[in-house]
Amino acid sequence: MRGSVVGHLILKDWRLQCLPILASVAAGALALAILQRGNETAFVVGSVWLFVALIVIGCMLPIFAIVNERKKQNLAFLMSLPISNMQYTTAKLVSTVGMFLAPWLTMVVATLLIVQIRGILPHGTIPITLILLMLPFVGFCFIAGTSLVGESEGWSTAATLVCNSSYGLVWYFIVKIPALTLTFKSPVAIWSPTALAIFGSELASVPLMLGLTFFLQSRKRDFV
Amino acid sequence: MNRHYPNGLAIELEGVGKKYRFFSLDNIHLKVPEGQIMGLIGPNGAGKSTTIRILMGLVHQDSGEVRVLGHQMPAEQVAAKWDIGFASEDMRLYESETLAWHMNFIQSIYLSWDAAYAQVLLKRFGLRAEQKIKGLSHGQRVKATLLLVLARRPKLLVLDEPTTGLDPVARHEILRELTGVMTDEGRTVLFSSHNTQDVEQISDRITFIDRGRIIDSMDKEMYLDRWRRLRIEVPFGIQLPALPGIIGVKQDGRLAIATSNAFDPDVANAYESTGARIQRIENMTLEEIFVANVEHSREEVEA
Repeated sequence: MRGSVVGHLILKDWRLQCLPILASVAAGALALAILQRGNETAFVVGSVWLFVALIVIGCMLPIFAIVNERKKQNLAFLMSLPISNMQYTTAKLVSTVGMFLAPWLTMVVATLLIVQIRGILPHGTIPITLILLMLPFVGFCFIAGTSLVGESEGWSTAATLVCNSSYGLVWYFIVKIPALTLTFKSPVAIWSPTALAIFGSELASVPLMLGLTFFLQSRKRDFV
Repeated sequence: MNRHYPNGLAIELEGVGKKYRFFSLDNIHLKVPEGQIMGLIGPNGAGKSTTIRILMGLVHQDSGEVRVLGHQMPAEQVAAKWDIGFASEDMRLYESETLAWHMNFIQSIYLSWDAAYAQVLLKRFGLRAEQKIKGLSHGQRVKATLLLVLARRPKLLVLDEPTTGLDPVARHEILRELTGVMTDEGRTVLFSSHNTQDVEQISDRITFIDRGRIIDSMDKEMYLDRWRRLRIEVPFGIQLPALPGIIGVKQDGRLAIATSNAFDPDVANAYESTGARIQRIENMTLEEIFVANVEHSREEVEA
């Protein structure tokens, strides 16, 4: 054996999906470039563009890397290799989550740096910014897990629809929460219990969804 | 023959069952000795692919035991698959990538990859490594898949309808290569198809499967030796007796056709002793044997 087969599958996914990753990083960089200009219009356009870039990559990656592999009948080829269905699931989740995290983390860090260094927004916006930026990651985990477990384009499309239609609604309710908005103009980031609870729930939902995906995959008796 | 596995069997399915809503695989017993080329023939929907997926560990059986190359399946599928080359009709390579990319990918995983043999196969199959998969014809894609399987030199080849949808020239090329590979080494092969000609060309032993049940399994030559069609002239008032080894008689006026699955010259004598006259005793092709076998099995089940 030459290295781990799971490792080879992860590398294979990165090679095959490098274009969408680069495109999302470029789109994110453009959004941040607009955002850091400092005026109100630039802020609105930049932040909308940033979220759109994250949402689009969150929807497209599961389709490209998971759904299409089954739809285009590449899965039988992969499963002829010395791997089990759980190793395939591990490879798929590690590769897609990694591919999403690369542009997501870059954009989160860049956004925080812009807030911190350029001072476009008061530091009091940091908790709500992180809470809002976390949502596309949570949505991505839901779509990726559903695509793997559901084994069909239909399930993946349904998960994408649920997420995309929920973002606006969730954002609307989040920005209405007084505990978050009252500290908005503070010169320092204040993590109120409400902010911590929301951010903590978002963080906890990620391992929960990934764990549920592993559990449901492990119960499958037919894999191809 | 070298015996590396328990009982010298490369594949062993014992009492394997799998139930779906509209189809079930029922009590499958299949033994493929090491070094043998087994043809699995069945009509569409007979259960060939399900059987193969079970022995590859891709589908878990509801009952029964599966051992492949000495490994319990599906639990030990990872260990087993290192030595299995599997290609199926519904297997596709990545369209956006070249054949060379696929060769590098497989080579990066298997130490057993034989780069020189891969080059020989490239030439024999008339393929170009730098060509993208989406630019290949169906026949070329099948050849590319087989190249990736053969060049890793597996101990067991499992081929699920690899010749389906190919033109006669591509089919001939692939069967010729497979025949060469199989005579070349003591490799075990399980080859499924609904095309009896393809299976007949390369198999030592043949198993017929229909409606989720194995209906017959024996050496290819034994099928051809034992199966006969008797054309009998039956005078008015004579009734043909039921004889052992005769699985069906179809009569139209004075002409009757009897099919035997265990032909013995005494059968012809027994008919003639009733006053009937044997016009001709014909050998049957594997396709005719397959069809007669399936019809007989279905009549038995329905009776």
